[in-house]
Amino acid sequence: MTTVKADPVPAALAEPAPARRRGTPYRLASSSWTVPVMVFLGFFFVIPLGANLWRSVATGDALVHGPFAFYAKLLGDAYYAGILAETLKVGVIATLASLVVGYPVAYFMVRYAGRWNGLIVFLLIAPLLTSIIMRTFGWRVLLARKGPVTLLLHDWGLIARPTNLADDPIAVYVALVHVLVPFMVLSIVAVLQQVDVRLEESSRVLGAGPLATFFRITLPLSLDGVATGCILVFVVTNGSFLTMLLLGGGKVTTLSLLIYQQFNVAQDTGFAAAMGNLLLFMALICLALQARFLRREGVKA
Amino acid sequence: MSTPSLTAMPPRRRRRPNWAALALGAYVVAFLGFIVAPIAAVVLVSFSSASFITFPIPGYTLRWYWRIIEYRPFLDAMLVSIEVALASTVLAAALGVPAALALARSRGVPAALVSNFLLAPITVPAIVLGLALLYFLASLSFGLSFTALLIAHTVAGIPYVTRTVLAVYRSLPPDLEEASAVLGATRWQTFRYTTLPLVRPGVFAGGLFAVLTSLDNLPLSFFFGSASTSTLPVVMLSYMENQFDPSIAAVSTVQMLVAIVALVVTDRVYGIEKLTAA
Amino acid sequence: MTSAVPLKLAEISKSFGSLQALKPLTLAIGGGEMLALLGPSGCGKTTTLRIIAGFEAPDTGQVLIGGEDVTDLAPNRRGLGMVFQNYSLFPHMSVAENVAYGLKMRRVPAAERRVRVRRMLDLVRLGQYEDRQIHQLSGGQQQRVALARSLVTNPSVLLLDEPLGALDKNLRERMQFELREIQRRLGITSIIVTHDQEEALTMSDRVAVMAEGRIVQVGAPTEVYERPRTRFVSEFLGTANIFAGTVADRAGPEDWAVTLDLDRAPRSLVRSPEPLAAGRRVLLAVRPERLTIGPPEEDGIPARVQDVVFRGSYFAYELDVPGQDGPVFAYSQARREVPADGRVGLSWPASGAIVLQDAPSSQNSPASQDSPASQDAP
Repeated sequence: MTTVKADPVPAALAEPAPARRRGTPYRLASSSWTVPVMVFLGFFFVIPLGANLWRSVATGDALVHGPFAFYAKLLGDAYYAGILAETLKVGVIATLASLVVGYPVAYFMVRYAGRWNGLIVFLLIAPLLTSIIMRTFGWRVLLARKGPVTLLLHDWGLIARPTNLADDPIAVYVALVHVLVPFMVLSIVAVLQQVDVRLEESSRVLGAGPLATFFRITLPLSLDGVATGCILVFVVTNGSFLTMLLLGGGKVTTLSLLIYQQFNVAQDTGFAAAMGNLLLFMALICLALQARFLRREGVKA
Repeated sequence: MSTPSLTAMPPRRRRRPNWAALALGAYVVAFLGFIVAPIAAVVLVSFSSASFITFPIPGYTLRWYWRIIEYRPFLDAMLVSIEVALASTVLAAALGVPAALALARSRGVPAALVSNFLLAPITVPAIVLGLALLYFLASLSFGLSFTALLIAHTVAGIPYVTRTVLAVYRSLPPDLEEASAVLGATRWQTFRYTTLPLVRPGVFAGGLFAVLTSLDNLPLSFFFGSASTSTLPVVMLSYMENQFDPSIAAVSTVQMLVAIVALVVTDRVYGIEKLTAA
Repeated sequence: MTSAVPLKLAEISKSFGSLQALKPLTLAIGGGEMLALLGPSGCGKTTTLRIIAGFEAPDTGQVLIGGEDVTDLAPNRRGLGMVFQNYSLFPHMSVAENVAYGLKMRRVPAAERRVRVRRMLDLVRLGQYEDRQIHQLSGGQQQRVALARSLVTNPSVLLLDEPLGALDKNLRERMQFELREIQRRLGITSIIVTHDQEEALTMSDRVAVMAEGRIVQVGAPTEVYERPRTRFVSEFLGTANIFAGTVADRAGPEDWAVTLDLDRAPRSLVRSPEPLAAGRRVLLAVRPERLTIGPPEEDGIPARVQDVVFRGSYFAYELDVPGQDGPVFAYSQARREVPADGRVGLSWPASGAIVLQDAPSSQNSPASQDSPASQDAP
C-alpha cells in the first residue's frame, strides 16, 4: 500500500538544523483580551485607591503635622482608638457567633439532610433576594417594644418588662449573624462534603464515641472551611455599617459607621481617606491570612 | 406485636431513633425559622393598618403600597436602581468575560496575578471603594452623575462575572474548541458557536449575582446620591431617618418581588439547574 | 470519496520548557494508509498528532499534506478530520447538529447539509439518532458520532487520538474492525495514536513505535511484532523473554548457536539474516508462544514451573530459570504434563529467537534489569 519508507534515524546529524521557531499552541482567546478590563480597573479602581492613599498623607492636617497625622490621630486619640477596638470586637463576636450557630447546620446538611438539602440551601440563599435594609428593618420589627420576640421573651419571663430591644446592642449582633451566617454555613459545607464519612465510621469502629469522633476527626478536617467562613464573615462585618446605623440605638460605633457619619457630617476628606485605608488594610491582612491558609492546605484549595 | 400469625414472618425490628440527628434536625428547623423570621415579619407589617409597629397586627390594608406610588422618590429610585444594576452588569460582562476566557487557559504567574487583580474589587470594602471613587470622579468633575454611579457599580460587578466565567470555562475540556477548529471553524466561529454557548451559564450566574449585589449596594451608592442618582437603598435609608412607618416594609417587599421576578426570568431564559451547576 | 493524500513530517521537533517532547522526527505516510503511532504515555505520540492538527507549532521542521507545507496554517484551514480521546462532542448540540458543525462552518447550504449528515449517520449506523442529545448516547454511539462528524467534511487526513480508549473491551474490539472497515472503504489517509499494542497491530497498515520523543521502529504489524529491533519494542509489543549471551558458531545458513550467560552451554539457536561474528555479545528476544516446554533431561534450559494460569485461549506458564533474573513466560495451547517437582527443559527453534540491537551488559551478569528504552518520562 505504501511505498514511502520511513526513516527512524534523524537526518539532522548530516544537515544543519533548521531555524528554530517558537510556536504558540492553538488558543481561542489571546492575552490582549484582558486589556480593556485592565485599563478600566486601572483607571477606576487603582488610581482612586492610590489617590485615597495620597490624600490621607498629603492633605489638610497631614501637611501641617506630618504625613501620618491622620493615622496618629486614629490610633492615638482615645475616642478613635476605642472605635477601632469596638470594630475588632464586633467583628470577632459576630464571627464566633456565626460559627457556633452555623456549624451544626452545615454538619446536618452534609450528614443528615438528604432530600431536604435543596430546601435548606434555598432558604439560606433566599435572603440574598432581599435588601439588607429589609432584613435590618425586619429585626426592628421583631425586636420592637411591641414586637413578637419582645412579647414572647416577656411571656416567658426572660425580660422584666417589654422594652425596645432593637435599640439594645444585642440587636446588632443578632442582625449581623442573621446576614452573615449563610456564608459561614456554605463555606463549611463546601469543605465538610469532602470529608469521607468512612473516616468517621473508622473512628467509631476504633472505639471513639460520637463526641470524640467529632472533635478528633470531623472538626479538624473541616478547619479549612471554618477558616474561609470566618475570614469572609469578619471582612464583611468590618465593611458593614447599616446594621449599626439602624440597630443598637447608636451604641455600637465601628469604623465603617464612622466613615459614613464623617462623610455626612464633616467633610474632612483627608481623615475620611485615612479611616478608609485603615479599613482596607484590615481587609488585606485577612486576605493574606486566607491566602496563606489555603496555600498550606495545598491542592485541596 | 403479640397477634399470632400463621405466616412465620420474622418480627420487624423497629429502628432505634437517632436522637442526635433528631435534635440536630430540630435545631436546624429553629435556625431556618431565624433566617426567615425578619423577612416574613417585614412582609406581614407591610399590610398592617397601624402606622407604627405593634403585634398582633390590628388590621390589614394596602395603603403602604399606595404610598410607594404617591411618594415619587421611591419609584424614581427604584428605576435608577434597576437601570444601574442592569447597565453595570452588562458593562462588567463585556469587560470581564473576554478577560476571563483569556485567563482561564493561561498558566504562569502573570496570568494568576491578573486573575487576582480582576477579583480584587470584591475584597475592598464597598464603603472605601465608594469614597475613593467619589473623590476621584469629582476631581474629573462628574462626581454626582449617573455615569459615576455606573462606573462604581461596574467596578464592583466585574469580580462576580469574571469569577463564574473563569470557573465554568476552566471546567470545559479545551479540546471542544480544538474540535471546532479542526472542523474548519475560524476563531470567531468557534467563539460564537462553541465557546459562548458553553460559558453562558457562567455569564448568567455571575450576572445575576452582580445584579442582586448592585441592587443592594448601599455603601457604594450613597456617596453618589443626588436627586437623580439616588438608588433605592439610599432613598429608603434617608426616609427611615425621618419617619418610621410600614411604607419601608412595602418598598422592601416590592424590591424582593423584583428580585424574584429577575430570578424567574433568568430561569425561563436559562434553566436554574444550569445556574446552580455552575 | 477522497483522493488519497500523502502526509509527511520532516524533522519536526518540539520542546516544552526543558522537556524535549519530540527529537527531530521524520515520517512519511502514504495516501490511504493507516499508520499507528504506538508508545507509552509521554513518548511524544500525542504531541506529534497535535502538531499535525495544528494545535501545537513545531519548534523546527515541516508538516506537508499532499506535498503542501501546512506548518504555519491554522487548524481550521488544514482540512483535517479528528476523533478526540473523549470524543469532544459539543454537549449543547444534538447528534445531527454535531455532525453538521463542520459543514456549517464551511457555509454549506442547509439542504445539502441535511443530506450529507444523514448519509454519514447511516454510514456509522446511527440513522435513527439524529435528534438525540449527546448525553443520551452510549459510549460506543458517541464514538460513532465523533467519527461521522470528523468524516462528513471529506477531510484529506483523519487523525484518531486514542479513539477507543474510553470503551470497554468487547465494544473496543468490535469498533476496531468497524473503524478499520470504514477507513478502508473511504480510502482516507489516517493516523491513529494509541498506547494499546493490540489495537495498533489490528488496525494499521504500519506501526510506528515511539519512545522518548523519537520513533524507534516503523514497519508492518507482523514485522514489528516478529522482528523487533530493540528490547523496548519487543517488550512493549506483548511479552518477550530476553536472554543475554555470546555468539558461538554458525549452525545453519542463517542460524547461529549462542552460549547463554545463564547456562554457558552452546546450544541455543537464533536466526539472523546478517552474519554474526563468533564472540559477539548479543541480546535475544523469544516470544512466550515460541518457547517449548519439554522434559528436563533433554538438552533444554533447565527451569522450574512456578505457576500455571489459564488465560482462555492458552495456558501461561511462569518459570524460574536459574541464572536469569525475573520470571520467564511460556504460552502453550495445550496443557503440558509437568512432573511433581516442576523441573522442565526449555527450548526454542532458531526461527523463534531474534537478535536485538541493544548491547547486552557485561559478560557475567545476565541482562534483565537494564533496559534503557523502557524508561520513559511521562
